Amino acid sequence: MTDTLIEVRNLSVRFPVTTRKLFRTEVRELAAVDDVSFDIKRGETVGLVGESGSGKTTVGRAILRAIDPSDGEVIFHTHTRDVDVAHAEGEDLRRFRTHMNMIFAEGPVQLSSMAQDRLRLFRSRMSLVFQDPYSSLNPRMTVRDIIAEPLVASGMMKNRAEIDARVREIAARCKLNLEHLRRFPHAFSGGQRQRICIARALVSRPDFVVCDESVSALDVSIQAEIVNLLKDLQDEMGVAFLFIAHDLSVVAQMSHRVAVMYVGKFVEYAPTDRLFFTPRHPYTHALLSAIPQADPDAAFDPIKLEGEIPNPLDAPSGCRFRTRCPHARPECAAREPDWREIAPDHYVACHFAEAFDFTRAQAKAAE
Amino acid sequence: MGDLLTVENLTISFRTDEGLITPVQDVSFSVQKGRTLGLVGESGSGKSVSTKAVMRLLPGSAVIAPDTRMHYTAKDGQRVEVEKLDPRSRAIRRLRGGEIGMIFQEPMASFSPVYTIGNQMIEAIRLHREPNKRQAREIAIAMLERVGLSDPATRIDQYPHEMSGGMRQRAMIALALSAGPALLIADEPTTALDVTIQAQVLDLMRELQRDLGMGMIFITHDLGVIAQIAQDVAVMYLGTIVERGPTAEVIRDPKHPYTQGLLAAIPSLDRLNARMTPVPGDIPSPTERPTGCPFHTRCVHAIAGLCSARTPREIAPEPGRAVRCWLHDEAGRSAA
Repeated sequence: MTDTLIEVRNLSVRFPVTTRKLFRTEVRELAAVDDVSFDIKRGETVGLVGESGSGKTTVGRAILRAIDPSDGEVIFHTHTRDVDVAHAEGEDLRRFRTHMNMIFAEGPVQLSSMAQDRLRLFRSRMSLVFQDPYSSLNPRMTVRDIIAEPLVASGMMKNRAEIDARVREIAARCKLNLEHLRRFPHAFSGGQRQRICIARALVSRPDFVVCDESVSALDVSIQAEIVNLLKDLQDEMGVAFLFIAHDLSVVAQMSHRVAVMYVGKFVEYAPTDRLFFTPRHPYTHALLSAIPQADPDAAFDPIKLEGEIPNPLDAPSGCRFRTRCPHARPECAAREPDWREIAPDHYVACHFAEAFDFTRAQAKAAE
Repeated sequence: MGDLLTVENLTISFRTDEGLITPVQDVSFSVQKGRTLGLVGESGSGKSVSTKAVMRLLPGSAVIAPDTRMHYTAKDGQRVEVEKLDPRSRAIRRLRGGEIGMIFQEPMASFSPVYTIGNQMIEAIRLHREPNKRQAREIAIAMLERVGLSDPATRIDQYPHEMSGGMRQRAMIALALSAGPALLIADEPTTALDVTIQAQVLDLMRELQRDLGMGMIFITHDLGVIAQIAQDVAVMYLGTIVERGPTAEVIRDPKHPYTQGLLAAIPSLDRLNARMTPVPGDIPSPTERPTGCPFHTRCVHAIAGLCSARTPREIAPEPGRAVRCWLHDEAGRSAA
């Protein structure tokens, strides 16, 4: 596997949760991400979907070492040698950071864990990375300075003329002109701001970018443009994306492969067309059926999932989806399903995956 | 006419430091009993402001234009001219809640965090329906059960923060319905929910509407949701309804270039990894509302000299449909 860029092996992220009882304090561990393994190839987009609280964002942040993994390895294959990100320190980690970047659209920020990281590792880059498209741009900086920040902060470039040339080049690719570079962010619309964030994320020519809900806050008519831009930039620069979103239809347009998360675990990971047309996990199937389509002829008959997503603190025994799964059997409570390759490149965690046929009509796709 | 609510030529302006801005211009729509009108549009298109005007809940800086007509037919058959009411009058207070209910995207916006769910529901019921406290409580419990909350007799004494997101959304629907409104305005009620919970809530709302025979205005930016819940749709762009008609017809055969662009821009589950078709350009800011047709700056079919200069009127290209676009108004074009 020479083209593998990132290997995630048995990644777990646990947070301590304290509950105050009458005479004692109880500390329990919340496993936001529990034993997740997958890989991302060079120049590939991996979509990561799941409902709120499923741990998508935590996976993205753990890969970037914005959160320290509790267990497991994240291996980043550089062209020269392999770096185990989960255990990298000091100069190694700093060098690795120039290969990666992050675009955030929204989401709560774990300030406590960030503050530590910021001090120890990449203090100058943090404010640029972890924010949404409306608040992620410093209102007192010009767009030029915002885009140049990663170069300056990482010490990649020191010569002003060199930096300017690079900024102009990436800005032009993101459809921002010289006039835009002189302005301050308040003058820009949502779509333009997101293009500034993308330019900033890509200015250091990273190999890997995490796009966390990067198009979710945008209006539909603008969203399509940003998706196209990301794809064009990927073709030109060969960057790999981890595209995190709760909207499956956007993920379908963006991704080569898609992973589905449920309460901290991967339930299915497959090439996009396989996942959307022949899903094997009942949860994937239910998610797909719940998306309302803007088509008056399409039957909308969502699979009724009882109740709500369980609290990861009290995750059900065995398969975590069993409490809402319409196909659950006694075995599902007794034993946790293995993460197995059911077909080439198609992974699923369900005891009975072979028994299900969730094939969706492909009539329209064939057109 | 079985119209529950008729809004004609609604124009709303706000006094701001930068002068008068007009986020809603010349908006007309009607809602019938037992039907749902979907109001769809992107952020800043004036969807929420228009419906707040119906409830007379606009801030003091808002001015409703004098030729605006908002007629509501009350449950007792009386015709109320909403635009003439004082926003602080007893008459409008009877309308709010009792006649027209409202639910929001964020349930915590409807609930006070310091009172129990039951406390708040019983207050609404006693105000509009049943002054007897014990009977009001019975109605509230029945309502919570109706929206699918398990163990309603316990839930009624819980505080909003004790419930999960989906449950809170259900409780909010119960609160809005407890006063027995004839018209329900739902402002992005499912936008913050996960898709599996959204499917549950949409299902519930369809069922409640069928059983209670309410009229409903459903505001959303998601045309997929509109296709599933609304019989009629009005598409808004920069404070103007550019197109309206029966949902299935509008989606199958959109007349306005904006509706066409919006439908083409929606990612579909049937076209994987396809290049998407964006609507070109950016949404202008409300302070820089274009002259003429508000969409002309992004429209691929814009007619030079006409669309940028003159505002198109609303015409009916087919019975039951309405569109504001010079492309469909030949008579208007030749007159201009």
